[in-house]
Amino acid sequence: MGLKGGSQAMLAIRNISKKLPDGRLLFKDISFEVKKGEFIGVLGESGVGKTVLLRCINGLTKPDVGEVVLNGDGEPQRINGKKGKELRAIRRKIGMIFQGSILVKRLSVLENVLLGKLGWISTARSVFYGFTDEEVSEALQSLNRVGIQSLAHRRAETLSGGEMQRVAIARTIFQKPHLLLADEPVSNLDPKNTEIVLDFLKPLTQDMAIIGVFHSPNLVAQYCTRAIGMKNGAIVYDGSPHLSEEDLRAIYGGGNFYSS
Amino acid sequence: MMKRYKNLLLFSGILSPLIVGSSLLCRVDLMALVRGIPRATELIIRMFPPAWGTFPDLVRPALETVQIAFVGTAIGAFVSFLIGLMAAHNIHSRRLLRQTTRTLLSAERALPDLIVVLFFVAIVGLGPFPGVMALALGSIGMLGKLFADSIEEVDPKPLESMAAIGATKVQMIRYALLPQVIPALIAHTLYRFEVNIRMSVFLGVVGAGGIGYNLVTALRLLKYQEAMAVIITILILVTLCEKLSEISRKAIIGNELLK
Repeated sequence: MGLKGGSQAMLAIRNISKKLPDGRLLFKDISFEVKKGEFIGVLGESGVGKTVLLRCINGLTKPDVGEVVLNGDGEPQRINGKKGKELRAIRRKIGMIFQGSILVKRLSVLENVLLGKLGWISTARSVFYGFTDEEVSEALQSLNRVGIQSLAHRRAETLSGGEMQRVAIARTIFQKPHLLLADEPVSNLDPKNTEIVLDFLKPLTQDMAIIGVFHSPNLVAQYCTRAIGMKNGAIVYDGSPHLSEEDLRAIYGGGNFYSS
Repeated sequence: MMKRYKNLLLFSGILSPLIVGSSLLCRVDLMALVRGIPRATELIIRMFPPAWGTFPDLVRPALETVQIAFVGTAIGAFVSFLIGLMAAHNIHSRRLLRQTTRTLLSAERALPDLIVVLFFVAIVGLGPFPGVMALALGSIGMLGKLFADSIEEVDPKPLESMAAIGATKVQMIRYALLPQVIPALIAHTLYRFEVNIRMSVFLGVVGAGGIGYNLVTALRLLKYQEAMAVIITILILVTLCEKLSEISRKAIIGNELLK
């Protein structure tokens, strides 16, 4: 499946490799493509390079070899190797949510959502003028979509972990990226909040693709449309989110994974 | 067992000969203090009653002292923020720039403030301006380092998440860094203002403006009652400024740093 043709890939990752600072190979020759509407769950043991893979996609970490191409507007743009203005112009089309909170704790919830559009706004305007009324009402709508418009004027530090991740999702809705990278978005949440956050995350695939790193095969089976498994620096599984015990053993080694 | 005696040996063998030897060389003579008591009493008696009538003349120099400290601290704090950014490892990855900045900052701290004042008096002449410059530069050595350390302590996730979605460096500093560090910056700046008020009193002594000059003049002319009036004014001034600083600290940042 190439970048041309009817079923265009939103993102193409081609043969990327990454060495750790100590020279050890983290992963080698990773390639896959992502289409709009997909919700990919990346699984693998801790330290296998899931987070680094995610960071290679938006250039927070630079892959040693290979290329990452984003094709959001029907015009393929290579991400790696870009710098400054060009890099920012691509990054604003890629959202990102981390484990724990990405919010600025001393700003209000609404301000945190507004920050999602910084990539589209000139430095001078953001520093001397701020955001327009249209942007503010759009940010409020984004908060409404994750059900917490009532918290708009609270300081971010007063929110619970689940509410913070919902604000991060509202920020992504406001940003309108083509691709969302979610690095363990629910790993420090209780089961109830995990469900709430993922229930709000999943519908975003109507407008974008999501690549998420997860620790629970159950959640991947429940929410994702596709799973990717990493082991020993390579992709060892790429397919249905409903992995068999055998598939999981290939990713994690021994053990029973669907229990608990 | 030997370890227990190490401290004792250290003290009796090295530290006490050093203290005793240095005292002899400095001609420490406690009896001289005792012999000086009558003269001290006489001096203090001659200072009373303070020349209350000179207070109206002291208002202007007192205000000048506050203004010098205020402007010096403000300039110092502003430059220190820029320098703090240059010295912080989470703001940029140019190691040489960072190390050079940190080295210059500690060099400035090693320089006694008095030398800095005399340097500015020498290049721009007498008056309040060299005082402002000296306090600004003196503040940078300390505030630049404290600001840099505060900047390095912020939660990196909000900064990185903004870089990830295409924000510029200035936007990241404005929206992710500044909100996180502002309470610490204000606390450090107010503390330095209190230091600068005392420095500013002293500045007049070497001719760099403010109320210190009135004190030196009164003492030189042997007008001890006037000198006492100046000293009382200085006490009131410093106490007021410290109170003011404390009140604004509470009003602006409250108990936030205690969290």
